[in-house]
Order: sequence, then structure tokens, then C-alpha cells
Amino acid sequence: MRLELKRLKFIDKPFLLVLFFILAFGVIVLTSASYGISSDPYYYVKKQVFAVFVGFLAAGIIIKYDYILFKNYSSLLYIFSLLLLLAVLIFGREVRGTTGWIGLGSLFIQPAEFIKIILIVSFADFLSNRKGELDTLGQVLQCIIYMGIPFILIMLQPDLGTALVYIIITVVMMFMAGANPRILSIMLFLAVLFVAIALVLHFKFGVWLPLEDYQLKRLTIFLNPYEDGQGGRGLGWNTIQSLVAIGSGGLTGKGLFNGTQVQLNFLPEQHTDFIYAVIGEELGFMGAFFVIILYGIFIFRAIYISYTARELFGSLMVLGITAMWLFHIFENIGMSLGLMPITGIPLPFLSYGGSSMVTNLMAVGIILNVNIRGRKIVF
Amino acid sequence: MQTTSLLIRKRILTLFLLFTLGFFSLGGRIFWIQFVRGAELSEKAIQNRMRDVPVEAKRGTIYDRNGHELAISVSADSVYAIPAEIYRSGREQEIAQKLAEVLDMDEQELYERITKNSSFEWVKRQIAPEKSKKIREMDLPGIGLTEESRRYYPKGTLASHVLGISGIDNTGLEGVDYYYNELVGGTKGRIVIEHDAANRPIPEATHKYIPPVDGSHLILTIDETIQYIAERELDKVFKEREAKAACVIVMDPSTGEILALANRPTFDPNSYNDFPAENRKNFAISNSYEPGSTMKVITAAMALEENVVDKDSKFYCPGYIKVGKETIGCPNRKAHGDQTFAQIVENSCNVGFVQVGLELGLDRYYKYLGAFGFGEPTGIDLPGEAAGILVPKSRAKQIDLATMSMGQANAVTAVQLLAAVSAVANEGKLMQPYLVKQVINNEGEIIKNVEPKVVRRVISSETARELSLILEGEVINGTGKNAYIEGYRVAGKTGTAQKISPAGGYLPNEYVASFVGFAPAHDPKLACIVVVDAPQGYPYYGGWVAAPAFREIMKDALRYLEVPMYKPEESEETIEKEVIVPDVVNLPLAEAISLINSRGLKVKVSGTGNVVWQQNPQAKMKISEGSQIVIYLSPFEKGVEYGQVTVPDLQGKSLKEVAKILADLGLHLLPEGYGLAYEQSPEAGKVVTSGSSIKVKFQPVGE
Repeated sequence: MRLELKRLKFIDKPFLLVLFFILAFGVIVLTSASYGISSDPYYYVKKQVFAVFVGFLAAGIIIKYDYILFKNYSSLLYIFSLLLLLAVLIFGREVRGTTGWIGLGSLFIQPAEFIKIILIVSFADFLSNRKGELDTLGQVLQCIIYMGIPFILIMLQPDLGTALVYIIITVVMMFMAGANPRILSIMLFLAVLFVAIALVLHFKFGVWLPLEDYQLKRLTIFLNPYEDGQGGRGLGWNTIQSLVAIGSGGLTGKGLFNGTQVQLNFLPEQHTDFIYAVIGEELGFMGAFFVIILYGIFIFRAIYISYTARELFGSLMVLGITAMWLFHIFENIGMSLGLMPITGIPLPFLSYGGSSMVTNLMAVGIILNVNIRGRKIVF
Repeated sequence: MQTTSLLIRKRILTLFLLFTLGFFSLGGRIFWIQFVRGAELSEKAIQNRMRDVPVEAKRGTIYDRNGHELAISVSADSVYAIPAEIYRSGREQEIAQKLAEVLDMDEQELYERITKNSSFEWVKRQIAPEKSKKIREMDLPGIGLTEESRRYYPKGTLASHVLGISGIDNTGLEGVDYYYNELVGGTKGRIVIEHDAANRPIPEATHKYIPPVDGSHLILTIDETIQYIAERELDKVFKEREAKAACVIVMDPSTGEILALANRPTFDPNSYNDFPAENRKNFAISNSYEPGSTMKVITAAMALEENVVDKDSKFYCPGYIKVGKETIGCPNRKAHGDQTFAQIVENSCNVGFVQVGLELGLDRYYKYLGAFGFGEPTGIDLPGEAAGILVPKSRAKQIDLATMSMGQANAVTAVQLLAAVSAVANEGKLMQPYLVKQVINNEGEIIKNVEPKVVRRVISSETARELSLILEGEVINGTGKNAYIEGYRVAGKTGTAQKISPAGGYLPNEYVASFVGFAPAHDPKLACIVVVDAPQGYPYYGGWVAAPAFREIMKDALRYLEVPMYKPEESEETIEKEVIVPDVVNLPLAEAISLINSRGLKVKVSGTGNVVWQQNPQAKMKISEGSQIVIYLSPFEKGVEYGQVTVPDLQGKSLKEVAKILADLGLHLLPEGYGLAYEQSPEAGKVVTSGSSIKVKFQPVGE
């Protein structure tokens, strides 16, 4: 244990510092965003701060044990996550069209969030064991089947956003592990073709899809939010209100607690999915750009950690997590800016949500684990 | 121990580059939305949450020249609901039940209305005062009362064509109410309510109340009494002669002020929908007709001015005259024989006037027609004035000149003809006829004061005086005998015109009988025209139909105005000393009287009060010694004698309220500052004479 404490000296300070900045910033913005939506104005903030503590606790536990030990449990973790996903499908509670929630006593959690981390760990192990053996179609297909099973279970909920995260994680991790880029490209192309054919079949011949029509419509409405058949008051509403919120923010914003779009509830899901629009409206361009810079440094440090990792397994875990965060950031901010479809993908460390916060801090734990046991350490 | 291979490091770099690129594009997009589309999206954010509830302004009152109310605004309370506040109180059922009881409405329907998902709902508009009192006492959450006003014309049909009508949305649609709508209508106020996404008003947020600015008051040139006299006589002739239409205008020839204007058929503006729409036609200003012999006044004026004739010029009338191939005759081809020019006016001899007209020639005739204002609107402040129709000069032939000299061929409006004849009465100066004398805003300040306007000099004063004498002779000796008034010198001219048939030519049995004139002839105070369209029965001549009406109107109006009777021994030859009229406006009554007396002038006080509001003639004018100056006291000091009044407590009242309270007591306000009243002098409770000034200091709220 003394040795472990010594390693903490080598912890990546910019990474941790930026994380604290993001978390503090997130709590402040959340206070404003959730102020008027509950009888206790600090209800959401309290829960969020609690989740931060739980998350750090979990991260602390993760850091204690050398990550290389995770390899021993990877198969177990993989099977556990598949069982959990099945349980969600069977016992899950339906919220907004998907059955992603499961009750633990009085607590409701979203297993899909935690499972992302677990799958990243086990997939990193899976890939590092096949180093240099990802050249043929057969070898690539093995990987795809490995991640395809949980993907299908997620699609059955159906949670398209999370399913997309899985695809991104899978592709990025395989690419990083050295998979044949031509085969990967062809696979991606085939996947897109498959989706296109499925859509055509669905609309022309009524072939069943795991998504309802309104869910499909919701994915494309961001291109023309006023063309929702209700003059922007239907499916296009969220995109429009988010754009109006950010656009009316100007250089310095309307000030915390003063955003009219936020405080008068024009902006939907202001404390979760659209927290970035709150920042854009109340803190303006300065706030919105500040967030981008913070994330930029944060992701840069994470990539640097993967670069200095001791071996491939650690490196892949860090890259998988980075890919996950990158997708969340692009999708969530892009959605707020009218560049991406509306999906329930939260903004890491900023959106309200216990499961997501704890998961992300556990991921931070894994990265720091890889970090302090990286190549800098000279015995 | 494994380390990351070169390949993987290369791929990590690729990932790094991709993510940097992605972040830059996000930053660019933020810039685009916040700076390029910022203004547009900010506007949308405002539209998102602001709702306007209009607050109607009260229309200004229309007074006659002496401050009598002709059109007022009465207000009634309307009940509205703010559903969000009703929800918050949690007493929806109770409120609906209580309201239903008072307002006599269906409870279920009311419940649905006050709980509608909306920001503002009318419950019931314009309710009775006792009901609004009850609702006010109940003090229900989310239920409010607001004042809405409606036009009311206390005198019914009196001067309806002048006043016009106001629609249900409280805007003027006709008459001066329409012509001065912008001033009288005031400015709508509004309540801007900020709403949240569920369309509920935000209680603690922007609740801006922009109060309406009540409309300004109009003081007309109309004299209610003269208007009443004119309408009474018009009614008589209209009913007795079963005419199609009739109109009368009474004007002060020296100023152009219209003292009375009436038309028949008429309507009650309070319930104008119960009358045929054509009853609202303002015959006096919008109907062009061929005036007939009344137009000979104008021909005579031209001829005298151009020295074509003088009053003693000799004429011979064989009963007809040939103009080119056409023959024009006097009525029944009656030969008037040898006549002077004065006699052809008295006899209304067509042959004589055709000769005069032909002598004048087209150029001179048209020059004067234009100068007298024919062929274009007079510009009276009423909507819908017609220009009249002249035979285009380029197409006019000798025969047209001949007929227009005796009053046919050209069509004029009654107001044009009266204005032209008034120019003769006014020493040759054509005045602009007008109806609104003064506009007073809702705080009692005069914002517009209309001064008499000389359009142009048309004929010399000598010509005017000479023609006046001839026209007096016409009333004494000629066709206008029925217009003669005992004790007054009346000048005038009859007219009996043939009417144009829609099919072309003239109608055989329809005439327009008219009379135009002024009195007293040596010092005209009133000019009047009476036009009766298609009177039934015989005689249909202007001298028989219109002249008696003219006589009755003028007789009563002159007496009402206390115009002195003419006494022949008071000859105009006495040498008069001219003095300058002093300015007494705003002076205390006693001071004004002594100032006027000191210049050797007489005073006539009109109205009650302590301070001079207006004077006539105006200051700085030169008038003969011994003439009378009429001074008018404020029209707002209704019925207050020079009594004692107790100064009211004005603490905390707005300027508007204070002004009204003091005006009602006949006290003058000397305001200082703005906001609410906090200091006054003299203090409340002190007894002062009516007409005293009260100094009131105002300060803004919340300081």
C-alpha cells in the first residue's frame, strides 16, 4: 500500500484539475437550471453532489488495485453485464419510451451507464489478448459479435443513443487495437447500408423495426425543426428552444437564474439533456466556449495518458472511455446546437444524473489507475 | 511487459487530430448561433414569453362652443380572469359558483372558461355597476375588473351628422369623431404579461402596465342652441313639404365657424343601426346639386367687381333671350321689362343674368368660380366632403356660360355656396369653414387652438358692401320677402333649381328649393343656407319653401345671440373712434372688466367662473369705441357660482385625478413636478373662493 501512495505523486494534475473545474462549474449551472423545477430548489443539486461523492469513492477504490488485475475478471464482468441488461429488459421501468431504469430499493439506476464501463474493460482485455490478430475478416467478426450481443440487448430497450455509444466505443477501440482499417471501413459501410435498407423496407413495406415511427422522426427533425407539422410546437420544439436559448445568450449571457428560456421552462430537460443550452443562454458565448476548452484539455490529457500507458490493455481502456466521452460531448452539445438529432445522451459531469455521474467518475478512476501505473514510474 | 506499439501511437495521434477538428467545429457553430443569428434568436426569445392584453383608452368628450356635452364616453366594468392565479388559489369551483351567481351565467361554462389554459380570459364584458361592486367586494383571486368605455350621445339625434358615430371597438367611424379619431381616440394601453412555456403568467416577473392615454376633448364651433333652432325649423319644413332631403348650415361669416349643421333625414348615433344607412349621408357637405338662382349672388359679385355693371345699370327683359340656337326664359316667359341691375337681382331675372354672364365671358367667370372656392372641397373638418362638379372650362360654350350665370349647369355643395356668400358678408374675404375650435387634452391643456383662416380675398370690400345692399333689397322687395325679419336687416337670395334627371336632361317636376343669406346686412353676424330637395306641393319656390325656414332660424338665433336690433336713427355716418382690443385672456374677471371698460368698450360675460378663458374679438384688433367685447369663462367650471369651496385633500393622487377634482370644484391647478401629489397650498379644509388657484407639488412614487 505504501507503494501505491507513492504512485499518487505521478497522478496527472492537469487532468484532475480540469475535472474539478468541470464539476464545480456543473454544480453551479445545475443550481440555476433546476432552481424552479422542484419545490425544494436545491433538490437536484443535493442529489448531484451526493453522486459526485459516491463517484469519487468508487474511483478511489478502483485506483487502489492495479488495473492489470481487471483482466482476471473480464469474462465474469462481461457475463454479468449481459445478465444485467437482460434483467433490465424484463424488470425495467419504462421512462420516456425506453425501459432503461431498474429499481434498487428506493433508488433507480440506469444499468446501461455502468455497463458501458464494464464492457470497455472486458473488451479492452478481449482486444489486447488478440494483439496483432485483427487483420482478417474472421478475427474482426469475432470482436463484432462480442460487442454485438450487448448492443442488441440495448436496442431492444430500445435506447438508440446508448446503442450508438456502443458502436463508437467498439469501432474506436478496434481501430486503436490495430484492426485492419480496410475491413473496419467496409464493416462500417455495410452497417450504414443495412440501416438504410431497413429504413426503406420499413417505410415501403412495413417491415418491423425496433423503433417507433415517432422515434425515427425525432432523429431527423433537427434538420428542419419547424417542419414537425405543428409549426415548431411538436417534435421540433426542443431543437428550436435550445437554439433560441443559446442564440439569445450573446457574448456574456443573461446571467445565472436570469435565462428566460430556462427559468420559464421553454427549454425542456434543462437540468439533464439541455444543460448546455442553459450555459449558452445564461453565461453566453464565454460560458459555452469555456466548457469546450475545459473538455478539450480534459480529453487531451486522457489521450496523453493512453499514450503513456504501461501496456495495450490500459491504453485501450483509456481510449475506450475517451471515445465514450467524446461521443457524449459531440452528441449532446451538437444536439443543443441543432447539429445532431435529439437523443437522451447526457453531457459528462455537467448533466444531472446519478448513474451517469458515478459511472463517469468510475471511468476517471480507471484512467487515473492507468495513469499512475504508466511508463513515467521508474522504480 | 508490453508497451504501446508505434502503430497504436500513430492511431492515437489520428484520434487526437479528429477530436481537435470536432471541437473547433463546435466552437464555430456556437459563434454562428450566438453572434450571427443572435439578434433573430433573441427576438424569438422575447416573442416566446410576452403576451399583450390591450387596455382601451377612453374617447374624449365632444363639447359645443359653450361647453355643453354633445358626445361623451360612458364606462362599464368588464370582468376578466387570469386562470393561472385561479389555479394557484385552488378555489376554482368556489370562484365559478360565486361568479355564476352574481353574473347570472352557467356555472359549468364559467368554470371551463376561468380554468382554460390561457393567460387571460374575459368572463363578461360591460356589466352593470351594482354587479361590478359585488364582484369587487368578493375579492376573488385571479378575477379582476377593468374599465371599458363606449360612446354615448346625450342629445340623441342633435347634430348627429357633425358628431358622427363610433363603432363597437370604440373608434370613430363618421363625423368629427372619425375626422379627429387620432386625437379623440387617445392611445391604447396594454398590459404586457410574461409567460412561461405552459402559457401561464409569471407572478413575480415582468408585469408591465402601460396605461392608456385617454383621448382629447373637442370643443366644436357648434352652438347647441342654434343647432337646436336650426334642426327644429329644418324638421318642420322637411315634414310639411315631404321633401326627399334637406339641410341647413349656419356659419359665422367673419370667422368661418360653423354654428349649426343639420340634415334630414337623420339618425340617432346611439342606435345608428336602427336607421337606414342613407340617413347618415351628410347632405350638406357631400351632395352636389345645381343651386339655381342662389348662385346669382356669385354672378352678381363678379359683375360688380369687374365693373361690368353697377346697381343702376339698365336691363331690358322681354321674357326670354336667345343664346346661339337655344332660348332661355324667365319663369313662364314672364317679361320683366325695364330693370336696373338691383332689380334683376330682386326679380331673379334669368334674362338679365344671362346678359351679365355673357358680358363677363368664360375666362373671368371661371376665374371667379375658382376664387370663390367652387370645384374643390372647402376643407371643412368632416369626412366625405364633395368637390362639386363644374363644366370643364375647355368644354364650356356660350350656352353653358349663360346657364351657369343663372345657377344651372354647375353643381355645388351647400357648404361651398354658404362659404362663398359669406365672403360677400365678410367684406369680400373667403373664410375657411370649420367645426373644431379647440382640442383640450385629458389633463386640461389646450393642445390645438383653431384660428379663423382667410382663404383669400375674392372681391373688394366696396363690391361686397354694394352687393349686400342689393341682396337686402332682394329680401325687402324681391323674391326673398319671406326671409324678412322685423328689426333686422337681412340680405339673401332665393333659389329654385331644376334637378338633373339620371336619364339626362332635367326632371319636369322636381326642384331644389333653397335660400342663402346673412344678417344683419350692415354688420353680418350669421350666414345661413337652407336647401330642401324635392319639396312636395305648390309653391315649390325657394322663396316659399326655404326662405321661411331661414327666417325662423335667423330670427331666433340673432335674438339668442343678443344681436342688437337695427334702429334707422343710429346711422353709420357717426364718426367712430377706433380702439385696440386689450388682451384679457387668463385675467381674473374683475380685472378683465375694468381693463376693457378703461378703453371705452362694453363687456358681455358669457359662462360662469372667475377667470377669462377666451375673448371675442381677439386682442390687438382695432374696433370702434363702444363696441362690445364678449368674454367667455372656462367651459369646465360647470355651474359653479362665485361660491366658497373647501379645498380637498389631494395627497397621493395622480395629476389627472387632481386636475379633475379641482376642475369639478372650479379651482385652478398649478402643478409642480410629476408623480403623485404630496404637498398642496392652501391646505385641505381651507375655504377659498371658487376660481382660486391651488398649488400642488407632485413627486414620483417610491422616492
